[in-house]
Amino acid sequence: MTLAGSRAGRFLARVGAIAWKEILHIRRDPRTLLLALAMPVVMLLLFGYGVSFDVDRIRLAVSDQDRTEASRRLAQAFTENHEFDPVGGDDADDADTIFRRHRAQAILVIPRGYEKDLARGGPARAQLLLDAADAVTAGQVLNKADAIALSESRRMASAPGISAAPSLQVKVSSRYNPEARSAVFIVPGLAAYLMAISAVLLTALTVAGEWERGSMEQLFASPVSRLEIVLGKLFPYLVVGLIQLLLVLGVGTNVFDVPILGSPLLVILAGVLFLAGMLGQGLLISVLAKNQLVATQAGSLSSLLPSLLLSGMLVPIDNMPAVLRLISRIVPARYMVDALRQILLKGNGFAQVWPDLLAMLVFAVAIVALATARFKRRIA
Amino acid sequence: MNPAHSIEAERLSRRFGSFLAVDDVSFHVEKGEIFGYLGANGAGKSTTIRMLIGLLTPSSGRASVAGHDVASDPEGVKAAIGYMSQKFSLYLDLPVEENLRFFGGAYGLWGKDLQRRADEVLELTGLAEHRKAITGALPGGIRQRLALGSAVLHRPSIVFLDEPTAGVDPEARRSFWRLIRDLSRGGTTVFVTTHYLDEAEYCRRIGLMVDGRLVALDTPAELKRTWVPDRVLLVRGRNLTAGAAALRARPGVRAAEPFGAGLHLRVDPAAWDGAAVRTVLEASGGEGVSVEVAEPTLEDVFLAVVGRGAEAQAAQEVAP
Repeated sequence: MTLAGSRAGRFLARVGAIAWKEILHIRRDPRTLLLALAMPVVMLLLFGYGVSFDVDRIRLAVSDQDRTEASRRLAQAFTENHEFDPVGGDDADDADTIFRRHRAQAILVIPRGYEKDLARGGPARAQLLLDAADAVTAGQVLNKADAIALSESRRMASAPGISAAPSLQVKVSSRYNPEARSAVFIVPGLAAYLMAISAVLLTALTVAGEWERGSMEQLFASPVSRLEIVLGKLFPYLVVGLIQLLLVLGVGTNVFDVPILGSPLLVILAGVLFLAGMLGQGLLISVLAKNQLVATQAGSLSSLLPSLLLSGMLVPIDNMPAVLRLISRIVPARYMVDALRQILLKGNGFAQVWPDLLAMLVFAVAIVALATARFKRRIA
Repeated sequence: MNPAHSIEAERLSRRFGSFLAVDDVSFHVEKGEIFGYLGANGAGKSTTIRMLIGLLTPSSGRASVAGHDVASDPEGVKAAIGYMSQKFSLYLDLPVEENLRFFGGAYGLWGKDLQRRADEVLELTGLAEHRKAITGALPGGIRQRLALGSAVLHRPSIVFLDEPTAGVDPEARRSFWRLIRDLSRGGTTVFVTTHYLDEAEYCRRIGLMVDGRLVALDTPAELKRTWVPDRVLLVRGRNLTAGAAALRARPGVRAAEPFGAGLHLRVDPAAWDGAAVRTVLEASGGEGVSVEVAEPTLEDVFLAVVGRGAEAQAAQEVAP
């Protein structure tokens, strides 16, 4: 008995025929594929470099009024790691001018008598003036200055003949991203965000295209079932989505040193579950919209905004108002971002990640079922 | 169901809201016959087809196709038939061969079976040389042949063709109809809707739809006998206007209309022949008169049927 003769064989033949046709469509339209694959890399580079939340090479003006070896040593401590770049001009009285002309973002003022105070056993005082117009930057500068001051006072305390107590409070650095690099923080979020957009858009477009062309009726007139259409349509885009995920992770690990501490297989599993939900969402939109223009609009809005704003990718979910926190519970990107951060950055396994996986599975099953049900009603 | 019948429709109706698209239609189609379904746009042809192929459920009545009831077993119907829709049949961005492979796959064909059937159909439709060509780049006539090929790839016992030759040039239409006749000779039942009345002559039997009702159904010859009992005479000559008026006034002359440079007459064959018409025209000043007896065409049938359909409807509207 040939494969084609059996029920399962015909099912596979039909799903395969639809998937193969979809692959041919993709191949005939390389621009869309290129867009789908280049977009993640470009976005990641943009976010990783351009939209960095890291504050580096802060322009620092030093006003050294002590002019001693100890004061020069402190100024050097700030600049030697390139976290601060020294700029000329050391007139502390003119701080306003310096800030207004953006000549420096911070001014280190070391008062007369700094070395003497140190020699007496402290407390020695130095002042850091901050341009706090950009609160985010200011906060980070403050943290860095704290860290430098702490390490400097520890160094002096360990030096013979000088005892200086730490004069500044120092915050504990974060555990999973010790250098607080935003690439490490952003890559999992970005992976989810990009997969969401392209998965929703691509399926919404391809299915809406079949309605628009009238080919859907031709398919309905054949023995192809709804489920076979859905599976055949989703499979190629699932593969495209997984390639995107691998690309983002590849660029993330190689360019931005994002670690992959956990199991790559678990990452793939999370990816498949998340993509299934997103593809289902695209399918639902196209079943409702039935034309490509509306499907594009609805597809981008429904994938872009929630996965950008409600996923915890940029704004921590704990910091959201209660209403948004509640809404974020039905945003699959939230679970994907959390799962990825857990697996990649903490090395967590299935035992910790399963609630996220379960949530994505529930969403995927629910939305594909809803889309298939709506699909049926159209032809009654 | 009569085993000699491919399609049986019994009091089939379909309502969309308050609009009755198909109204109480009954007919049967015999195995291997080419059955033409004619009617103006919106007469209910496509709706009838969509019910017969299991896409639309009938509002009332029943129909069975290839032994499957369309309402209770639409999947059985779908597997047994081929369908070429009016709007779409092919993916224009794919090569010819891939379109065939796709539709074969959609009907569950696979591997070697699929390849063999695709080759056969390419041969049958004369498209072997175009197999790698992108479908959208081919002329409409070739595309229609490919669409038909896609619809018969799985050897259905019945094919439904909805306006298959719309917008195709006459030569391509002729070669398309050769294909249809080949299919029919091979035992396939063909149910075809068309706008082109000349094509309808190729059908063994014809159903005529007016406003959702099937108002006439028979062979082309029988339809002509029933619906166009008048003799149609084509008259050529000069100065015919006065003669036409004179003819109109005589009993047995049902119409005398200007037609090109001449006249188009419909007369009672018992009362009039060519010589009698010529005598009247020449007496009214006609010169160089020649009269030719025209065989009635399906167009005449169609106009007669539509005219009576309209009269019937007008009568219905007037009735309380």
